[in-house]
Amino acid sequence: MSTIHAKRAEEYLHDEAVALRHDATFFGVRQKRDRMAQALPEWEQLRDAASQIKKHTVTHLADYLEQFAANAEGHGVHVHWAQDADEYNAIVYDILSSHNVKKVVKSKSMLTEECHLNEHLEAKGIDVVETDLGERILQLMKLAPSHIVMPALHVHREEIGDCFREKGLMENLKSQDNPTQVPSDPNDPTFLTFVARLHLREQFAQADAGMTGANFGVAETGDVVVCTNEGNADMSTSIPRLHIVSMGIEKLIPDLRSLAVFQRLLARCGTGQETTVYTSHFRGPRPGGEMHIVLVDNGRSSILADPEHWQTLKCMRCGACMNTCPVYRRSAGYSYTYFIPGPIGINLGMLRDAKRYADNVSACSLCMSCDNVCPVQVDLSTQIYRWRQRLDGLGRANAMKKLMSRGMTILFNHPALYTTTLRFSPAANWLPSALMNSALNPWARGHLMMKFPKKSFHQLWKELEKESRNQ
Amino acid sequence: MNSKEKILSALRRNTRETYEMPDLGALQGITFDDPVAQFVQKTTTTAGARLVEVHDGDDLNALIRQAYPEAHIFASNIPGIQADMNPDTVGDVRELMRVDVGIIEGRIGVAENACIWIPQAMREKAICFASECLVILLRRSQIVSNMHEAYALIQQSDEYFRQYPFGTFISGPSKTADIESALVYGAQAARGVTVCLID
Repeated sequence: MSTIHAKRAEEYLHDEAVALRHDATFFGVRQKRDRMAQALPEWEQLRDAASQIKKHTVTHLADYLEQFAANAEGHGVHVHWAQDADEYNAIVYDILSSHNVKKVVKSKSMLTEECHLNEHLEAKGIDVVETDLGERILQLMKLAPSHIVMPALHVHREEIGDCFREKGLMENLKSQDNPTQVPSDPNDPTFLTFVARLHLREQFAQADAGMTGANFGVAETGDVVVCTNEGNADMSTSIPRLHIVSMGIEKLIPDLRSLAVFQRLLARCGTGQETTVYTSHFRGPRPGGEMHIVLVDNGRSSILADPEHWQTLKCMRCGACMNTCPVYRRSAGYSYTYFIPGPIGINLGMLRDAKRYADNVSACSLCMSCDNVCPVQVDLSTQIYRWRQRLDGLGRANAMKKLMSRGMTILFNHPALYTTTLRFSPAANWLPSALMNSALNPWARGHLMMKFPKKSFHQLWKELEKESRNQ
Repeated sequence: MNSKEKILSALRRNTRETYEMPDLGALQGITFDDPVAQFVQKTTTTAGARLVEVHDGDDLNALIRQAYPEAHIFASNIPGIQADMNPDTVGDVRELMRVDVGIIEGRIGVAENACIWIPQAMREKAICFASECLVILLRRSQIVSNMHEAYALIQQSDEYFRQYPFGTFISGPSKTADIESALVYGAQAARGVTVCLID
C-alpha cells in the first residue's frame, strides 16, 4: 500500500553512494542559504515584507495585471492572455510560425514545462534549444528536470561527457582558431562547460527567436525581470530579434521598490548567492525587434479561491524548500509524480489534480523546515498536512492506515480495553524476531521493531505518585 | 468574453479577503561604513571579477590593453575609448560574438552584492553579453550599499530606459555550477569581467 513516491524512493536509496551524494549536495546549498540569511540583520524583515507584498499583489491581481499589460503595451510590447496550456501553446506557435521561425533558443522556464511547450513546438517542426546548461544537458539526454533551479545535479560528469561526445559537441573544438586540447580528465566540469559554451553560442547565432520566462513582472513599469547566472536569457534575447516571454500571472509585483526585496531574497534563498550574475529588465522590444509577453493562467485563478491553499501563489520558485527537505534530499526529484518536486511541488501537484498527484503527499515528515526557509512564508508543510486530511475524500487514503486509525479510535475511547492491551503488550517482545521484523510489519522498516517496556508510563506514574505519598 | 476578460473576471470573482501593501519605509537594508571598500571586496571575491583603480591622469585605454594583452578585437561606443568595433554601427549583431573585450559603462554599483547597473546605451546590447571579456567603467561616487538604494535611484531617474528599453545588473562574469555543482566561470556570456573604478 506504499505510495509511488515511497516505492521510487526505496529504489533510489538502493544505491547508497548516489543517495548520499544527492543529500550532501543539496544540504550544502541549504547551508549556503543559511550563511546568506545570517549575514543580513534585516533577514526576517525581508521575508515578512516579501510575504506581505505577495499577499497584497495576488489579492489585487486583476488590477495589477491590467496596469502591467497597459504599461508593456505602451512600450510597444504585444501582450497575449492564455487561460490554459493549450491556448498558451497555440499562441506561442502562432507567433513563431508567423515569423517563419525554424529554431528557437530558450532560457529556463518552469511554465513551459508545465504546459509541455517544447513537445508541442517540436511536433510542429520547430527546433527548440534549451540554453541553460543544466536544461540543455537534460534535453540532450532526454531526461526531465529533477530540481527547479539546479535541474541536472543528479547527473554525473561521466554521463554528461559521454552524451556530449555522442552528440558530436566536441566537433566545435576543432573549428576554433586555437583548438582547445582535451584535458587528462575528459569529463572535467570546466572543460565540459567550455564545450557546451561553444555549442550553445552556435545555437544563439543560428536562432530566429529567443524565449525567456519571467522571474518578476513589475506592474508600475511593465518590466519583465529575468535572473540568470549563465547569461543565457540575455544571449537568447540579444542575438535573435524576436523575444517571447512566458509568464505565469502570479509572477507580478507592484513596483521597483518591491523588486528590491525580491531580488535580494531570490538568489540568497535559491542557491546561497548574494545575487544572480544577471538581473535583466526588459521594458520593450529591441531596436528593429519585436517583444511578446504571454500571460498564462492555467489554473492559477482557481487557486486564489481556495481558502486553504491560495498562498501557494506567493511562491517565486527559488527551490529553497527542496534543498532543505530531508525527504527530497534522500529521494530526489524523480521519486515525485508531479514535475515540480519537493514541498512546493507536492502542493502545486495537488492543486493541479489532487486525485492524480496524491502519491506525493506522503513525501513529508512534517518537520516544517520548508516553512522556515521559504522567503515568502508559504506554510508548505501545514498545507501538506491539510491535503492528507482530505485523502479519504479523494479515495486515496491508505487502507492499512485507515484500519489502524479505526482500531486506535476504539482503543483510545475505551480506557479498560486500552489498559489491558497495554499490560499485555510486552508479550510482543517474546515473539521471534523473524516475525516482528518481517516485511509485513511496516513499523519495522528501515530499523528493528521497538521493544515494549515492561511497565507502561501510566504504571510508572502511579507508582511514583504512591511513593511520594508514602514519603 | 475574450481570454483576457475571462482571466480578469475569474481573478476578481475568486478574490476573497484582500490585503494591504506593507509599509516598506520601515525596512532598513544593510549599510556599510565604507561602501566602496565593500564593493571592491565583493567584486574581487564572490563575483569573481578583477578590479582596476583608475586615477586622474591615468591613461584608461592603456590600462584596458594592459589588462587584456592577448585581445585582438575591442568594442565600445564610449567617446574616447579606442575600439575596433562599435555596437551602434555594427551591421550584423553576430559580429559582436567575435569581440574579445567589450567596454561598457555602469551607472550604479551595489556594495552588498557587486551588482553594477548597466542601462542599455548602445544599439546592440549583445556587447554586454556576447563579448569574451567585459570591461565595466564605474565611478566611485556611484556606489551605494544595497539594492533598495539602487532601485530607488532607478525609480527616481528619468534617464534610464529612455533611449533603449533595457537595463541589467551584472555581477562578475557569467558562471554555472550545473555540472556536479563545480563552479565554472564563463558559461555562455562573458568569461571574465574587469571593473575600472574611476575617481
